Amino acid sequence: MCEIHRGVKLDFIYIIAMMLVALGLYCLLLKRNLIKMVIGLAVLTDGIHLFLISLGYRAGGVAAIVSGDWFSDLPGFAARAVDPVPQALVLTSIVINICILALALSLAIYAYRHYGTLDPSKIRRLKE
Amino acid sequence: MIPHAPILAILIPLFAAFLMPVVGIFARWKGLKRAREWFAIAAVLVEFAIVVSMLPAVWGGQVLVYQLGGWQPPWGINLAIDGLNLLVALIVAGIGTLVMIYSFVYMERDTGLDQYYTLFLLILAGMMGVALTGDIFNLYVFFEIMCISSYALVAFRRNWQSIEASIKYMIVSSLGTSFILLGVALLYGLAGSLNIADLAQKLGPVASSAVIVPLALFVTGFGIKIAMVPLHMWLPDAYQAAPSAVAALFSGATATVGIYAMMRVVYTLFGALAIGIMFATLGLVTMVLGAFMALVQRDLKRLLAYSCISQIGYILLGIGLGTTLGIQGGLFHLFNNAIYKTMLFMIVGAIIYRVGTSNMDELGGLWKNMPVTGTLFVVGALAISGVPPFNGFASKWTIYVAGIEAGQPVFTIIALITSALTLAYFLKALNSIFLGQRPAHLKDVKETPRSMLLPIILLAVLCVVFGVLPQLGIDLVRPAQEALMNSSGYISAVLGGA
Amino acid sequence: MAGMTVIVRTIARLLFPFTFLFGAYIVLHGHLTPGGGFPGGVIIAASVVMLILAYGIEQAQKRVGFLHAEILESVGGMAIVVLGLFGLLLGISFLQNVFPLGELGQLFSAGNLPLLYLGVGVKVAAGILLIFYALLYTFRGDEE
Repeated sequence: MCEIHRGVKLDFIYIIAMMLVALGLYCLLLKRNLIKMVIGLAVLTDGIHLFLISLGYRAGGVAAIVSGDWFSDLPGFAARAVDPVPQALVLTSIVINICILALALSLAIYAYRHYGTLDPSKIRRLKE
Repeated sequence: MIPHAPILAILIPLFAAFLMPVVGIFARWKGLKRAREWFAIAAVLVEFAIVVSMLPAVWGGQVLVYQLGGWQPPWGINLAIDGLNLLVALIVAGIGTLVMIYSFVYMERDTGLDQYYTLFLLILAGMMGVALTGDIFNLYVFFEIMCISSYALVAFRRNWQSIEASIKYMIVSSLGTSFILLGVALLYGLAGSLNIADLAQKLGPVASSAVIVPLALFVTGFGIKIAMVPLHMWLPDAYQAAPSAVAALFSGATATVGIYAMMRVVYTLFGALAIGIMFATLGLVTMVLGAFMALVQRDLKRLLAYSCISQIGYILLGIGLGTTLGIQGGLFHLFNNAIYKTMLFMIVGAIIYRVGTSNMDELGGLWKNMPVTGTLFVVGALAISGVPPFNGFASKWTIYVAGIEAGQPVFTIIALITSALTLAYFLKALNSIFLGQRPAHLKDVKETPRSMLLPIILLAVLCVVFGVLPQLGIDLVRPAQEALMNSSGYISAVLGGA
Repeated sequence: MAGMTVIVRTIARLLFPFTFLFGAYIVLHGHLTPGGGFPGGVIIAASVVMLILAYGIEQAQKRVGFLHAEILESVGGMAIVVLGLFGLLLGISFLQNVFPLGELGQLFSAGNLPLLYLGVGVKVAAGILLIFYALLYTFRGDEE
């Protein structure tokens, strides 16, 4: 079971995850090529996934797989294993992102066919 | 109530969506012409019956809690249905049924209809999932299902407008849903649970400086979906480029679900009734901006899209005021907005189906050709502007009175002015399309096909009914309003007994 | 889309059974080891895509075409829903476990988890293959 974490643990991994999010955001907002924007979206979501997985870490913990001699000591295992819930959440989220990336890339192919360019600032004929 | 109704309400469209490619292949192999359309209509009718069957139990005050897999909350995912969920589920099921009947004829000239019906059923399943679930990550997953299906539906016709609109929509909305995921991650780190009722309980004693970031992320993420100013830029392009049946579904059902998700997270999970004033102010800005932008549009679908933004502003104003009357007005306006917005988009679709364009400069004098459609457009225009015998007046009046009651007469005055602007641009649209000189090439335009007229007439009848008997509407939304203001009932029902 | 050189074709043909087996192993052992339906399905799809890249799209269409992938995907999705419905009809709620639980750590254990993962594996594999085909058709320009 998880308890409420007090304060903010300045572990290095959280900083890296947020840097990935910032990098992805920069690519998504400021690059002038649709494929690069899609890559930025992928990096952004990867940063969020990294953040989510590292939330489940428990200092001195073991992986959440019952094997070997943990079979006989299940309560001890439960006290020492890392949290498996964020891992399941991230697995689901990765699959959702595959769908978004596939859709975005096929839209980019169509955009290239219609407009002849992948520059989002030129794909602006709908302005009114 | 049909046993297992909550989960069946999500499963029926999902199962039908999985089955649809097989049905399509089978229909082509055997040569049965309309098999997939009839299959889809049967699925949504069964869905509507299931949702209606849950009405007596929930309106009697009971919160239906359904545990998936038999696992107790907070360790398992559960579906929790109180008055608010059921109102949204009713709107989604009803609008879904009517738009499906409408697309029977409207979409028959398009190719790739297998995929259209699959996506339609998927987006319906996603919306029902968001409306009925009691777990925040499950809400995110179903929300993503709804969003991805909507990106594909906007790009359905694959011409340059649809592709451009869908790219813009997709980039902005993916950013929004990533923010929602980050908010869920932060909440899990703060409280260690993913159940909405459990989180509401555990977040009580946490300091407010820690919950500000998740709250801001959620409001931004859902705000992008409901097109709250300043996050509304994607909506006009997306609604203009999508097929009209899809735009009708979006404006009626998807916007409703987005507002529900925002309310559920902000009011029940965070218990942050205090930020209602921010909603009210942003709602006011949204309302005015939508109305002003709609005044200058030349294309009917784009005008309706900006009008959509304006109506969402009304709903946010009502809900943001936070008083009983305010929330009742906001929810009643949510219900009415679904009715007349869907009706107006269907009418535009009928005009495009018969004439081929929605540009108001090229239309005119269609009253002689399409008298029934014209009358229905008048009903819709008067309803949305808040003219007395129609439902828009009842809900807007409630919001005006709530504004004065809450001590903010300025809000009421601005809302009144915006209603007048709404009437102005709709009269302008009416004049451009149905009255005036008819161009020569429109001489032989026929009346709308009957099966497309049927849902529109039904919605118009509902407009009149709820306008003449406003008490019926208030009774309809009272369970939802009580559920919204009384979150402890929800929490104890989910965690305590069932 | 044409195939590749003889070396690539030979290696792809030799590696395909092992990769496919590896993917199937991950799917089936989802309740014992990390993985499960999603990564296993992706590996199975990747092994098929490796063959398509090596031999060319026309050859692949004859064996696993667009139609087969569509039907497989629908079957996988329906299998998951039907398994959940078993719980609904025989027990109390959807996805309730009605299959024997077995011993901890054995392959045939954990109720309906391996069966659900099987459904997910089939659906994900067929789905990724379908995405690949759809992107390929979009790129070549035929409207499917």
